[in-house]
Amino acid sequence: MPKDLEAEFLSDFEKNQNIAHKICRIYTTDKDAHNDLFQEIAIQLWKNYSKFRGEAKFSTWMYRVALNTAISLYRRSIRTMKTDDFSDVAYKISSTEYDDTEEKQLTALYQAIHQLNDIDKALIFLYLEDKPFSEIAETLGISNVNARVKMNRAKEKLKTILNPKTWIY
Amino acid sequence: MDLLDNYKKAWGNQVEIPCKFSALEIYKMAHAKSSSIVKWIFIIGILEFVLLNSLYFFMDMEEAYEEYKKMGLENFVFYSQIVVYAILFYFLAQFYLNYNQISTTDSTRQLMKKILKTRKTVRNYVFFNLSYLGLTMIVVTIASININIDQLNNKQILLVVFLMLIATIIILGLFWLFYQLLYGILLRKLNRNYKELAQLETEIS
Repeated sequence: MPKDLEAEFLSDFEKNQNIAHKICRIYTTDKDAHNDLFQEIAIQLWKNYSKFRGEAKFSTWMYRVALNTAISLYRRSIRTMKTDDFSDVAYKISSTEYDDTEEKQLTALYQAIHQLNDIDKALIFLYLEDKPFSEIAETLGISNVNARVKMNRAKEKLKTILNPKTWIY
Repeated sequence: MDLLDNYKKAWGNQVEIPCKFSALEIYKMAHAKSSSIVKWIFIIGILEFVLLNSLYFFMDMEEAYEEYKKMGLENFVFYSQIVVYAILFYFLAQFYLNYNQISTTDSTRQLMKKILKTRKTVRNYVFFNLSYLGLTMIVVTIASININIDQLNNKQILLVVFLMLIATIIILGLFWLFYQLLYGILLRKLNRNYKELAQLETEIS
């Protein structure tokens, strides 16, 4: 591989790595597994980078490869046995006025997503990332109608888990 | 406002995750060895191929051929070997093509389909090998009964056939169990996700 391609890849990935981190966080529950999946995503992205070049936006392409890796290819390696829960790590909210409501919501949201199955996780993730249905359907390889129906079911499941009574007063 | 909209807002406001990796760290990770299930399926497939074929090296082929000749099976062995090797190369080509086509840039469903197809090819290959083994066992049994037909009574013939059948079933059964376990563990998650994704397509159509 030529050096400039590598440099381009590293800069693209470094800028967009947050997408991969978020995916790792919803598909794993501890730090070792998180880094393990992140590494597999990096391998898959780099392996296919020369084919991708310029076809679409890097981030759009990254959503697909990263989700595919999490759903289809990733197997937790033996060395990463389940340790302490990763969700204890604080994820801060960028709010000018400090308010912990959103932070609590975020923690609750991640915990709820962990209880969904792998496909529902992907659907909810793409919804939260504000992706259009056409892109969601294309990424997962299902029809638009199917994507809509599945999304509604996934959202209902998530709502049930989140249980509105705990925060609407 | 929908309940989830509040959560979506919180999601959108989350700042970059603290454990960010540097370009150097990403470089190291991208060049590490993959541990994806596709790779494992490929490695196991190659191992099966090598192991099953290396069995021939451990057998004294000349002596075996003499035995076959005594039983009048030299033609069967010769022609069946030609067919077996033709099919073997077909599998080898399929195996390579399947693996080569697997790409994470496909849609999720397409990717899963291709992984499952690869696995199917491996399984068919193994079943083909086992059936050939089974067939050879049966032919050899019949041929050896044929040679000794004068010295055997009906009861003894039945006993030989019965024992042979039991042995064949046990060997095939053990292999089947082994593969169920091996690929079952590897593909459990993938199968579950594939079913989940494909489920509604059939509900709608």
